[in-house]
Amino acid sequence: MHIDPGDVAVLLEEVDSFAQGRVAAMTSRPEEPIPPEHLERLTAEVLALRILPDASDEDGLGLWEDCDHAHTMAFNIGVLRLLGQANAGVAFAWHRYALARAMERALGMDREEDGILGTTILPVGHYGLGRASLARWLIGRELAAEDSELLADWLDRHANTNILFAPESWRSVLWPVWTEGKVRWERRTRQRIDVLLSKAQHGLDEVSAYRIRAMDSVGNTASVVDAPSSVYARLLKLDMIGLTAIGVGAITKGLGMAREFAAIRKQGGKAIDRHPAVQALLGDAEIARNAGDVILGGYERPVDRIDLGRVVADRAGLFGRLCHAASQIVQAFGGVGYMRDLGAEKILRDMTMLRLQTGGMQDLHSFLAGWSGDWE
Amino acid sequence: MTSMPHLRDHLPFDHPLSPRDGFPHLPFLARMLVHYRADDLWQEDTRHLPASMAALRRKARVFAERYLIPASADIDLAPHPAIGQCHPKAHEILVEAGRQGWLSYFLPPPLGAMDWGRVSHAPVMQCCLVVEEFTRACGGLMLLLSAHHLGVMPLLLSGSPGVLLKFVRPIYQRCQRGDPHLVAFAITEPGAGSDAEDGHGAARYRPGVVATPVPGGYRLKGRKCFISGGDLAQSITVFAALQGEGMESWTCFYVDAGSPGFSVVRTEQKMGMRASGAAELEFNDVFVPDDRIIGGLRHGWALNRATLNASRMPVASMGVGFARAATEAAIDFARSCTLGGKPLLEYQDVQLHLATMVAETRAIRAMVWQEARHAWRPRQLRASACKFHATDRAQKVCEMAMDLMGDRASLHENRVEKIFRDVRLTRIFEGTNQINRLSLIEDWQGELLSGPSGPFVTGV
Repeated sequence: MHIDPGDVAVLLEEVDSFAQGRVAAMTSRPEEPIPPEHLERLTAEVLALRILPDASDEDGLGLWEDCDHAHTMAFNIGVLRLLGQANAGVAFAWHRYALARAMERALGMDREEDGILGTTILPVGHYGLGRASLARWLIGRELAAEDSELLADWLDRHANTNILFAPESWRSVLWPVWTEGKVRWERRTRQRIDVLLSKAQHGLDEVSAYRIRAMDSVGNTASVVDAPSSVYARLLKLDMIGLTAIGVGAITKGLGMAREFAAIRKQGGKAIDRHPAVQALLGDAEIARNAGDVILGGYERPVDRIDLGRVVADRAGLFGRLCHAASQIVQAFGGVGYMRDLGAEKILRDMTMLRLQTGGMQDLHSFLAGWSGDWE
Repeated sequence: MTSMPHLRDHLPFDHPLSPRDGFPHLPFLARMLVHYRADDLWQEDTRHLPASMAALRRKARVFAERYLIPASADIDLAPHPAIGQCHPKAHEILVEAGRQGWLSYFLPPPLGAMDWGRVSHAPVMQCCLVVEEFTRACGGLMLLLSAHHLGVMPLLLSGSPGVLLKFVRPIYQRCQRGDPHLVAFAITEPGAGSDAEDGHGAARYRPGVVATPVPGGYRLKGRKCFISGGDLAQSITVFAALQGEGMESWTCFYVDAGSPGFSVVRTEQKMGMRASGAAELEFNDVFVPDDRIIGGLRHGWALNRATLNASRMPVASMGVGFARAATEAAIDFARSCTLGGKPLLEYQDVQLHLATMVAETRAIRAMVWQEARHAWRPRQLRASACKFHATDRAQKVCEMAMDLMGDRASLHENRVEKIFRDVRLTRIFEGTNQINRLSLIEDWQGELLSGPSGPFVTGV
């Protein structure tokens, strides 16, 4: 199956209908996260609709299954933006599942039957984004000893604890490891991982946070495969693009809520959207959302024609603004925005979580230095 | 080679080019001018305070570390309590806080627990010192303890010795006996958030809680919402308009929570500061006798604004406490987390990040202390400026801490995510930071509009 360019708008309308009619409806109480069994039921529906990659190994039209055309990238981005608008946590869980499936295919790994949302992916090492060292490896530079040392530690899954955000049902994780001086890929089952469930995490309440550590060192097992650096670069691009789409969707939702509220809530005898103070808050959110849409529009082309450095730079520039937008949305609501049953504060928490994913913000400038720098 | 511990890209203190090595070898008079003793920043700042205030700061820190920190995470994670229920650990803290005088330190003995050595220092400054320490330990528990002072503030500011003796003294005495009597401050109404905190808005607002005169007193009817500590308070300072009149008739009534017709109808599930309840209160013809009118009829608006002027600097100090806690957590993380065989602290970008956080925290503390030290009669402009600036910057510092810690920042056990959830409230309550900016201008308009125009005229 494949998507024709003319089908994208129609398909996204159907996704929108599902996102609002099912996802948003089943997660309509922001103070009460969707129970795992309900998430599984919802996932079964989205699999049946083939919005997510199904169990077959055939190429389909599910999320991240085709990233080689402008219109399919528009579809992928549109799906996550709409799902993010319905519920960022659910969108995140499905994004990482679909990404894991896409990587399995790219790596030529056999599909494992591990149940609904059983496969997930941890795209980075134990802290940050591998600084300049990862960037240098990705563009094929000869690594200095300190680069190798850093990457060996960064991807040492046995020595370090890693943080995984995934639905309760995860059974295996796909992650990059460092062996023989290069990044390779391991799919490791949960039974071979020390897993500690965190008591709570900041946001994305629909998934859980796990401290995980490989029980043993990575060997040359069948589950470890080689791949060129371009495969990793592609994964990072898709992950960051996906996080951006979810974030822009979430801000779109929050902005809509805030605008509705501001139109009817009165202060000083008039609706608060007539006050410049509130206009500034909503304006900040709209500016950030629009900036996000412009950036997402730039990704509507074959993923291999998108520069990872640009995606990283976009992420560094945009996520601070998106988080600020989420905070301004809370502010526009005043006291009620702080209360969990409204949903505005959840958007802020979710946005902060998206900011902290895939290495967070701290390493992005170092990464860009390695990506663009020409030092030896 | 040096045996002194030092960061790799910085000179050790015993290096010939280190000023720390050079200063002690300068001539005596030069040493007097340049050679300093480098100590823990908190200890240094505390030493620079007057002795009685330094003692207060140390005592508050000890209490916070002994009682608030150990209970903070559990209470934050506990299920939302039913109306009127208090987490057992929170109750223990309230009892101990009462015994130690943390619920009665706005007046000296025999009324309260303020050390006589501190009576020459502005109570607002004292409160700022305490609030920073409590906030650093736990935002929610700090609010549980501090909302009480907000509730008592209209009584204190009423200027009536009778009110102090009749109402404040028994509250304080019960607290000191370990039987905490909490008071809540109720201004916000379901139809009005900012209108209760802003004069321009109030002038157009139709009051929601109305007091109807009856023989011997008034009957209150209406609802108040988002009242910090309103769920546990035994009494409430309630602001209501007189029947048939507007906000200019606002009057402060001291309401006993046991009064017939009073009920807590809802407590909010908040993003953070979960150790302190935010309650919606219903007044269904609650009778309040005449002797419980505080500050006189129709003086409630002024009393409300005076209370906010007194409370906004402590709210700014909450920002300081949160920024400090976030910075401390980030420092701890940078020292303990390693990457590529060395602690994050060794990386230059991490050092730049931490330096900015420390400077931001110290800048807002300097602002708060500068204003609070002289705040015997807190000026609206100064209080609002502190409140919005310190809390805005504090959130920024918390965000920086989260960025430094990456995905680990999102785990509850690493504290910073809770600090972020907690600090977010400080930009909303006591007047949103937008209202506080306008409040600054409202108070300043006299200077802005009077006198000759031109540069170098208006003092800033």
